[in-house]
Amino acid sequence: MLVNGIAIDDTFAEAFPMKATRLIITAHDATWASHAAVSMTGFATSVIACGCEAGIEADLDREQTPDGRPGVSVLMFAVSGKELAKQVERRVGQCVLTCPTTAVFAGLDEGEPIALGKNLRFFGDGWQISKQIGDARYWRVPVMDGEFVCQETTSVVKAVGGGNLLLLAHDVDAALGAAAAAVAAMRHVPNVIMPFPGGVVRSGSKVGSKYSALPASTNDAYCPALTSVIASSALTPEIRAVLEIVIDGLTESDVSAAMWAGMNAVTQRGVEAGVARISAGNYGGKLGPYHFHLRELAGAQA
Amino acid sequence: MIEIVFTLKSPPPLRVDMRGIAPLSVAAANPEAIAQLTVWHGNERVALAEFFAIKVRERRETAPTLRLVGDLARFDRVGWAMDGGRIEIDGDAGDYLGALMTTGEIHCSGDAGMFAACEMAGGRILVEGSVGDFAAATQPGSMDGMRGGALVVRGNAGERLGDRMRRGLLAVLGNAGDFAAPRLVAGTIAIGGSLGAHPAFGMRRGTLLLAQVQPQLTSTFVASVHDISVYWHLLARQVSAFGGPFEGLGARLPRRLVGDLAVEGRGEVLCFS
Repeated sequence: MLVNGIAIDDTFAEAFPMKATRLIITAHDATWASHAAVSMTGFATSVIACGCEAGIEADLDREQTPDGRPGVSVLMFAVSGKELAKQVERRVGQCVLTCPTTAVFAGLDEGEPIALGKNLRFFGDGWQISKQIGDARYWRVPVMDGEFVCQETTSVVKAVGGGNLLLLAHDVDAALGAAAAAVAAMRHVPNVIMPFPGGVVRSGSKVGSKYSALPASTNDAYCPALTSVIASSALTPEIRAVLEIVIDGLTESDVSAAMWAGMNAVTQRGVEAGVARISAGNYGGKLGPYHFHLRELAGAQA
Repeated sequence: MIEIVFTLKSPPPLRVDMRGIAPLSVAAANPEAIAQLTVWHGNERVALAEFFAIKVRERRETAPTLRLVGDLARFDRVGWAMDGGRIEIDGDAGDYLGALMTTGEIHCSGDAGMFAACEMAGGRILVEGSVGDFAAATQPGSMDGMRGGALVVRGNAGERLGDRMRRGLLAVLGNAGDFAAPRLVAGTIAIGGSLGAHPAFGMRRGTLLLAQVQPQLTSTFVASVHDISVYWHLLARQVSAFGGPFEGLGARLPRRLVGDLAVEGRGEVLCFS
């Protein structure tokens, strides 16, 4: 199947159930809200070693935040609610509580509650104040610039992690250009994040390794350096750079919408922009219950 | 769901104790049984049918509703320990309206007597008129006043408003009498009008918000100067919804006073200069 000259592989992205939450971080101005959000979502590219996958979902205007200040919406994903709770507490405690003028609120209305400020309040050393406003409980913790306001709990919902696109290009420039265009388009889709640096990963991985200590290792089938070396290569000689975009979303349809947006952005540029194929990573369909078939998405796109 | 309408035939000579007449339990009974439900009138049990003309009708509401029509100023403990449903009072209510209630809604179109919402733990009460002394307070001999839910009074409140209140929201759009918010443990009390003497006496925690007056507080309240704009935005949005003197409060930042230090309290009084 070709779309604007770009081949769409007859394959699918395989994704997994995850647990997710959304946090709303606000601050005196957008810059400080951004500082907190960037810090909090740092080192959160993959659950393989980071504990969670997190990213900035959107910048928020004053009208979109609970306290009427500029803010940032952050999504966090983990393999279990327990691990997510641990990551939320650590990251909010070290990166949001510490950032001048910030406050943090739950961004989802429904789901299982986990602690947000419930334990962080003890930083107040007894001077913290609880306040129930409407259905939500907040904590006011005295800090050196005033008080840190945080909601007591945030909600955790079932989510989908590991949607992906592989962009197979003639060179690095073409791969980077396509990936950047795809990520820019995907960032307009709500309820998703692309957790890797700039939304893009160059070290796509397969499960397992020849070294028993490693749970994952390089996705050799998509490494141009190995095209002529291994029999299982998925590449042809003219493919010299492959980049992957990983997508985590609150629902299957959110991930699907983001993949569609990404594919559309790449195919709109045409084959002349240097991308020859679009593919996706999977494990034969045996591990993850969510399958995103590229040609079905491309058909919807057409 | 059904609505059961109790229309008062004539005011009773003695006070009536309405304990046990709650929407969920009454709605579960058939019309004949409802008429035979008894309440204390002075020192004797009297059937409801002696006081009221009773009518049962189907309504669209999802919760069973009791509608009480007439001057019920001598009917105490309406909605006592109420655990669901709705009570509509077309007129005045007696003492202890909604006391100890945990869920449900009460709407009173007139005034309510003393101890309205005392030790209330949940649900919502709206009184269009005024309430007497000890609203949302503790009962004699008990440690805590209101423990949750919301009481909104569009008129005035008497003395000892919210005595020992521990949790919940109490909004009075009119004036409050002496000793408003005494011994407040936690929760929020918002007063739109004037105050009597000794507000926030012995306050420990919680919030007393005054929309229009500068309180005459003892020297055991001290000014706190830190930025509370985030918290204030959240609180003001909730309180502004009651309208009247609270409307548009979010646009201004209140003064914050902390006390009552006489009891090592860390409550806050928010007011506007």
